[in-house]
Amino acid sequence: MKIIENKYFIIALRLIVGGLFIAASVSKIFNQEEFSRAIYNYKIPYFDSLINISAIIIPSLELVSGVFLIIGIFKRGSSVIISILLIMFIIFLSQAYIRGLDISCGCFSLESVGQKSDILQRIIEDILLLIATVLIFKYSNKLNIQEKSI
Amino acid sequence: MKLKKKLIREIIIILFISIVLGFFLNFISPKSIPLVRDDSQRFEIDTSKVKNVDLKKQRGKLDKDGFYRPVNIPIEAAKQLFDEGVVFVDGRNPSEFNEGRIKGAINIDYKTFKDMTKEEKQVLMKDINKEQVIVSYCSSDSCEISIDNAYEMARAGYNDVKIFLGGFKEWKQKGYPVE
Repeated sequence: MKIIENKYFIIALRLIVGGLFIAASVSKIFNQEEFSRAIYNYKIPYFDSLINISAIIIPSLELVSGVFLIIGIFKRGSSVIISILLIMFIIFLSQAYIRGLDISCGCFSLESVGQKSDILQRIIEDILLLIATVLIFKYSNKLNIQEKSI
Repeated sequence: MKLKKKLIREIIIILFISIVLGFFLNFISPKSIPLVRDDSQRFEIDTSKVKNVDLKKQRGKLDKDGFYRPVNIPIEAAKQLFDEGVVFVDGRNPSEFNEGRIKGAINIDYKTFKDMTKEEKQVLMKDINKEQVIVSYCSSDSCEISIDNAYEMARAGYNDVKIFLGGFKEWKQKGYPVE
């Protein structure tokens, strides 16, 4: 798996994942109201009291860890946070998909709130992003050690 | 071990920065929200479990903010209003509206409607009398547009707005007239 261990491949992954997370956070960061509604639309059981706290914190978590991934500090911490977020999104999207909810996923922008969107496609995208993030986590560490030993 | 400690430290720092940043942004945001979401107001007047259909069609109360609160009605009341020739307002976007709608419904796209001024809203709805009954709906009970659009219309001075939460999905399932 030479490509995966390639330094530049991991840097490219960091730029892609970090960039996507920054882009995803931008439309939510000053629109807490609509993001809160987007989360509400998932109708997640027992989650009601946490909706607004999530709507306040998730966008800045995305922004901060995205920026850190790109500039290359706290790479492993950022990839852990991003992985947790992605796992959460995948669970929320899957439960909505299984229950056949007609929602906008609100994942990338708030533009399509209230409209149908392809939930399955979003789930697949999030799984791919999760794989990329796990690779970043795994090999950032390894590369650091290699660099130090040189 | 050292790496693990470093990782935990990184996570704590990121969490801390994000929480502070998140609350700060919410504080300065024009669309900021309270810590706990409050949906109690939206369904304040809910007649969906009332047995008498006439009561279900009753008008909402005058709010302290100076508008009549929309009333949440069940499908049978919506059907009865439909048979009486009441205006149905579809809050979805034009492409969804064109794909299929409750027969005779008019389209007021919530996304553009919400940003209009009160005067612009009234111009758009000039054919509808302010005291007339209006039924607001959208795709199904998992979309919120029917509620939000109803409140927008009520605030614009329409005094008898109903929310039919079941929306196009429930209407179609019942086999009621669509186009």
